[in-house]
Amino acid sequence: MAKGMFIDTTICTGCKSCQVACKQWNGLAAEPAHFGKRSGVPYPVADNFTGDSYDNTGSLSATDWRHVRFIEQIDEQRREKRWLFSSDSCKHCSDAGCLNACPTKAIVRTDLGNVVVQQETCIGCKFCIPSCPYGVISFSEETGTVHKCTLCNDRIHNGLGTACAKACPTGSIRFGEVPDLRRRADARLAQLKGKGEKAQIYGYEEADGLKVFYLFTDRPGVYGQPEQPVVPQRRLVLCSLVTILTALGIGVAALVNFRERLNGKEEHHES
Amino acid sequence: MSPDNVQVPEWAWYYIAVYFFVAGTSAGAYFIGAMEELFSSAKEREVSRAACYVAFPLLLLVPIPLIADLGRPGRFWHLFIYNQGGYPYLNLQSPMSVGSWVLLVFGGCTLLSFLDNLVADRVISFPLFSRYYNRIPRKLYALVGSLAGFFIAGYTGVLLNVTARPFWAATSPLMGALFLVSGASTGAAAISLYLIWRQRNAGEEVARLESFDRALMISELLLIAVLLVLAGHTAQLLVTLPFLVMFWLGAVALGIAAPLWFKYRSRRQHFGGAPHLAHYLCILAGGLLLRISLLQAGQL
Amino acid sequence: MGSNMAECHPVAFRWPLKARTDHDAVLMHVDPRFTRTSAACNLHVPIRAGSDIAFLGALIKFVINSKRWNEDPFFREYVVNYTNAATLVNPEFRDTEELDGVFSGLAPDGKSYANATWSYQRNQAPPKAKGGVGPFSDLLLQQVPGRPKTDPTLQDPNCVLQIVRKHYARYTPDLVEKVCGCSAEQFLKVAQTMLDNSGRDKTANITYAVGWTQHTVGVQIIRAAAMLQALLGNIGRPGGGVLALRGHATIQGSTDIATLYHSLPAYLNMPDGRKKHDSLKEFILTEAGPLATSYWGNYPKFAVSYLKAQFGAAATAENDYGYDYHPKITGDHSHMPMMLDMAAGKIKGFFVMGQNPAVGGQNARLQRKALAKLDWMVVRDYFETETAAFWRNSPEVLSGELKTADIKTEVFFLPAAAVAEMEGSFTNTQRLLQQHDKAADPPGDARSDSWFTYQLGKRLQKMYADSASNLDWGIKNLAWDYEPEAKEVAPWRIKDEPSAYKVLKEINGVTVADQKPLATFANLKEDGSTACGAWIYTGVIPEDGKNNAARRKPDQWISPNWGFAWPANRHIMYNRASADSQGKPWSEAKKLVFWDPDADSGTKDPAGNTVRGKWVAPSGEGIDFQPTKAPTMVGKDAALGFDWLSGNDAFIMRADGKAWLFAPAGLVDGPLPTHYEPYESPVANRVYRQQSNPVAKVWRTEGNVYHGVADPKYPIVVSTYRVTEHHLSGTMSRWLPWLAELMPELFCEVSPELAAEKGIRNAGYVTIVTARGEIEARALVTRRIKPFVIDGKKVHEIGLPWHWGWQGNAKGDVANDLSAMVGDPNVSIHEGKVFTCDIRAGRKGGRS
Ligand SMILES: Nc1nc2c(c(=O)[nH]1)N[C@H]1C(S)=C(S)[C@@H](COP(=O)(O)OP(=O)(O)OC[C@H]3O[C@@H](n4cnc5c(=O)[nH]c(N)nc54)[C@H](O)[C@@H]3O)O[C@H]1N2
Ligand SMILES: Nc1nc2c(c(=O)[nH]1)N[C@H]1C(S)=C(S)[C@@H](COP(=O)(O)OP(=O)(O)OC[C@H]3O[C@@H](n4cnc5c(=O)[nH]c(N)nc54)[C@H](O)[C@@H]3O)O[C@H]1N2
Ligand code: SF4
Ligand code: SF4
Ligand code: SF4
Ligand code: SF4
Ligand code: SF4
Ligand SMILES: [Mo]
Repeated sequence: MAKGMFIDTTICTGCKSCQVACKQWNGLAAEPAHFGKRSGVPYPVADNFTGDSYDNTGSLSATDWRHVRFIEQIDEQRREKRWLFSSDSCKHCSDAGCLNACPTKAIVRTDLGNVVVQQETCIGCKFCIPSCPYGVISFSEETGTVHKCTLCNDRIHNGLGTACAKACPTGSIRFGEVPDLRRRADARLAQLKGKGEKAQIYGYEEADGLKVFYLFTDRPGVYGQPEQPVVPQRRLVLCSLVTILTALGIGVAALVNFRERLNGKEEHHES
Repeated sequence: MSPDNVQVPEWAWYYIAVYFFVAGTSAGAYFIGAMEELFSSAKEREVSRAACYVAFPLLLLVPIPLIADLGRPGRFWHLFIYNQGGYPYLNLQSPMSVGSWVLLVFGGCTLLSFLDNLVADRVISFPLFSRYYNRIPRKLYALVGSLAGFFIAGYTGVLLNVTARPFWAATSPLMGALFLVSGASTGAAAISLYLIWRQRNAGEEVARLESFDRALMISELLLIAVLLVLAGHTAQLLVTLPFLVMFWLGAVALGIAAPLWFKYRSRRQHFGGAPHLAHYLCILAGGLLLRISLLQAGQL
Repeated sequence: MGSNMAECHPVAFRWPLKARTDHDAVLMHVDPRFTRTSAACNLHVPIRAGSDIAFLGALIKFVINSKRWNEDPFFREYVVNYTNAATLVNPEFRDTEELDGVFSGLAPDGKSYANATWSYQRNQAPPKAKGGVGPFSDLLLQQVPGRPKTDPTLQDPNCVLQIVRKHYARYTPDLVEKVCGCSAEQFLKVAQTMLDNSGRDKTANITYAVGWTQHTVGVQIIRAAAMLQALLGNIGRPGGGVLALRGHATIQGSTDIATLYHSLPAYLNMPDGRKKHDSLKEFILTEAGPLATSYWGNYPKFAVSYLKAQFGAAATAENDYGYDYHPKITGDHSHMPMMLDMAAGKIKGFFVMGQNPAVGGQNARLQRKALAKLDWMVVRDYFETETAAFWRNSPEVLSGELKTADIKTEVFFLPAAAVAEMEGSFTNTQRLLQQHDKAADPPGDARSDSWFTYQLGKRLQKMYADSASNLDWGIKNLAWDYEPEAKEVAPWRIKDEPSAYKVLKEINGVTVADQKPLATFANLKEDGSTACGAWIYTGVIPEDGKNNAARRKPDQWISPNWGFAWPANRHIMYNRASADSQGKPWSEAKKLVFWDPDADSGTKDPAGNTVRGKWVAPSGEGIDFQPTKAPTMVGKDAALGFDWLSGNDAFIMRADGKAWLFAPAGLVDGPLPTHYEPYESPVANRVYRQQSNPVAKVWRTEGNVYHGVADPKYPIVVSTYRVTEHHLSGTMSRWLPWLAELMPELFCEVSPELAAEKGIRNAGYVTIVTARGEIEARALVTRRIKPFVIDGKKVHEIGLPWHWGWQGNAKGDVANDLSAMVGDPNVSIHEGKVFTCDIRAGRKGGRS
């Protein structure tokens, strides 16, 4: 019954409807950092022009649970011209770094497979933040807790699809059950490959399968996704082992140190 | 846009690195004390006593930065009790969760040892319990406490290693080991400082401590070298300001190399005197700068 | 071409994308810039703004010279039967090839054309007949001209195809390269793809929006596309056509119900004091006379029923249905000359409802200054627009050019209700009416525009109730009763909201006697027994209580039960052309409307036998033709409307029933699209000596100064356009922090080449200057913009989205402070898509 989303970036037009729909449904404010005061004007005025293609919001944040990236690939002669768009959010990893890291059980997986932050439990320790390989989960100074896409937890538990998928005019974001979505993705991949285009699905293997996965026509890195994401906790055993061994080493060293001298001293006393 | 967009937790160094340092030092000290307690003769207790007097008060400082860095400090108890279920919660995959619990255990052990020593030194007394005093399983909680101490000193490094921040991830699996060794070293320095402060000449004991510390500091240097090799390009930050000063000059040169050199030079000399004081302070400062550097190098 | 569909019509763009992914359709985008639409297309061809006719003309030439077009019988059958290719034109007609860029008939002052020489050669007029369905039809019948002469072999040098051939003979791929600045290969790729994807089994579509209209040759660009599509057999067939993407929500509806100054609802012309319009009879003869052999032969029914709807019982045959009391126009009252009149102090009061000319108007500075000349202005909007606020914080006030204390304009700012706060319908680009319900009461004093207009009308009627003046007859007798039924307003706080149902019912039309809705416009009468606000909408309320616009039943294709497509639920106009001259579908793949010889026509012959044969459309599509007229039927010469048209005259709104390759009438700037340079251009016209459209609307007045041809002070081409993130003048988007942060500030798209020349840094400021004004913007340096090489000369183009103003959460200068008022002669639209400017790095006033 796992729900998820399939993002077909090849039909995304970069309209950002998904970004706005997410804010609207989830009641998220415009990013306060994007606004400043201007003289003679009693209300905040946006001042976040970046010059980075059409992307002025930059990244995911506690108030931007979805973010559309713009990648211009045009050569000087204007022969090869591509403008790639990719709408990004939490991937609802099957093995979720953020969830694994949380010391308070604030991050949980629901019966539909989505990963959500329980605001009333989170203590704002921020450990989940660097534990997400995708840079998704973000801290809010305002609430003192972390926030991210919930896969529209309230909607999907009431039989609706996600707000971003609903708003997406091109069908680039599809919401549904993961196996169905994978079938759709496979078919689309085969279609593109059949036309000789290079394309790949991102998210089948990563983190035991991302519930929100992508169709890319270039390396994941081009879309701002890690090429080889690792669920950080997979290093836990090795790290612990090495640390324990070190501890043992120190213990032995100490033992040798303290015990030998002790023995030596006793011997010395006897002689 | 760099493909590596893993977010920064923005842990404040003045809270988190200080916590790493204080907890590591406390744990290192306790461990050394416990070793003495467990393995040395019952007569020579200067070091283990000093360790107990160092470990517990240091540990008392720990919750302050730890809680202060939380977004919702008032909810710190959620670390132990799942607020929605009311039951205790431990997440074995999360160094932070396990660390919190172990900190609690460690706190208990240091407290007991602390009281223990106070009683032994006749600073306080429990007339009611004096009958049982000799029967308490001192060695047991020294053992538990030293294991916990190990954990405390090491887990903070493991915690950094099991994130996705490039520098922290690349230095896996050595950060825990390094923090552990460094904790033991600063712990030793703290004990020594305590002894200087209380003007206790512990003679042989201190000599043992010194030689132990030398081994620690050599391992520390080795670990740092391997760690930097592992880190590769993710360590680029370390050759820029302010890391050049903080890490190379502070943590490595002043905090390890110089004291080590000093230790070798003064190998035959007896304990006491000003140069010692400075060199222990260097070790402590170096330990702190090491934590700050490695924390910030993963956050910038 | 001329549309940035993905950005400006993002929801509709779903369908081209689906065609590409699911059906392997080829998408091509011809646009000066590489946009989010280009990104989704198989091919993007950049051409210099304002060079579309050269490109389209070359496409036309390519097609008619191609082997396939000349050999595949499909094209010949379509073109001979459904277009005027075979029609013979007046031998006195002179083409631009002969007159170096102008057509015969240009007035000596060079500012207007007489179109007599553009006419058809005709047979003798038929004997004058009687027997119209009413007095006005009788008159029209007297005027029916002879049938146009044709040469179905298409060889006659005066036949339209030969004229077209000659006209475009010089529009070669090489010329395209020199005028448009794209390579000949790129052009040929487009041309070949269009040709390959047209024919029996395939159709190609051309989609445009204001990238084509906002030019001094806007109408002619679209005509060129229509010609190409007619030549390729792509009109009246599924998947074909020239698709206009309309602008504002229900801008189509507002054109249908006539917000334009020169038009009455449903495309009847506005009575005009300058024309022979002195009585209803003359009005009908002037307007409908030349069209009477098309479906417009029913003009009298439409006009009389319209007047009956307007004046109700007071409209009688005796008083010409109130025609004399109906307002008439006296000149060009389109937006730009109106604002110039205002600037000249000739206009006292101004209602601004759903517009923000202080930002959206060309030469906006001049328009703002015009507002200061008013006595009063009413602005109804959601936010205090720049128009409403001009008197206190416009750039002119801040600079001291205008002083608030000196502005005598009294501004009434009234809060408007938003769409979800009222009931009504939208008519989209496809002519589809879709009902929307009211979801909430508007807050506070905010009211819908219909409330405002209705209450204003009621109050005016009260004020004029006692007037005896003939002038006031119209307002006194206006049929003005839209009082809501109790149940319509029962759930709401606002109880005096007029009934949207009653308004729509009036538009739909009723039989006067019983006020029952008319099911179809075929039931309209010219004797005053029917009343109808807009005949094209008839059928939207086929019976009392039933609103077809509210239907919501989709299917996989035409979806005839979704909303209501005017006229008569026809989704594809002229769809008779989807079958061949024998009435058979051109192909299985493109089957839509066809003649079924065995079907029961529903009529009986005099002998009482069932007459067989009728047009059918299994998809449920409305049939845009006379249902029982057999393909082989020949029209009657002395007849009006359908009776005159033959079984192959698919283009039923044209007087000859044909798609026009050559336009003998209807356009003021020539029968054939011709490449003229934009009014302001960095280069001379390479094709003709005539530089720009000779009859373009220009207003050389103070404050509206034009740049010369290749003006060295203004060497750079600038084009204004939209981005997805904002809406028009920005009132509806700049006040929303969510949208403001997406596109926070006015920016200017600049090529890296120009940036290097001018020292412009990405995200730094630039200042852009024209003779009209100076603005600053942030630079977005991007390879999506490219410099063009035009006939050996490097021409830089910059792009300027124009959504910003000084109010709201996202702010920037007003791009229209740069543009000039200059217009297309046919429809008065401005040339916002191309003019010249200069650009420099740094902020206004030299700050950096
Ligand atoms: N998001 C959003 N959607 C909108 C609107 C909005 O403001 N915001 N406005 C609505 C309205 S009112 C309208 S009218 C439509 C307009 O819809 P569009 O016409 O698609 O909008 P524009 O962006 O003005 O111009 C379209 C394109 O024309 C190109 N262009 C400029 N000059 C030329 C030329 O000479 N030849 C060719 N071939 N192309 C040229 C521009 O580069 C631009 O990409 O959009 C409607 N939809
Ligand atoms: N340079 C340049 N200039 C252009 C264009 C261009 O491409 N380039 N495009 C032109 C085009 S195509 C257009 S359509 C115009 C648009 O220009 P305008 O029509 O002047 O601009 P809008 O922002 O659409 O103004 C509509 C106003 O109506 C308000 N409004 C919305 N709904 C309602 C309602 O129900 N009732 C009332 N009373 N008000 C309402 C909105 O808040 C807004 O303030 O601009 C034209 N100007
Ligand atoms: S993408 Fe990041 S935030 Fe989302 S579930 Fe995976 S680890 Fe957690
Ligand atoms: S910040 Fe909140 S959600 Fe994240 S790990 Fe800490 S308690 Fe869990
Ligand atoms: S699924 Fe919901 S919460 Fe997540 S990005 Fe989409 S709209 Fe936002
Ligand atoms: S709504 Fe859909 S098409 Fe638009 S940016 Fe988001 S994913 Fe892309
Ligand atoms: S704004 Fe409305 S009309 Fe325009 S594309 Fe979106 S849904 Fe369609
Ligand atoms: Mo428009």
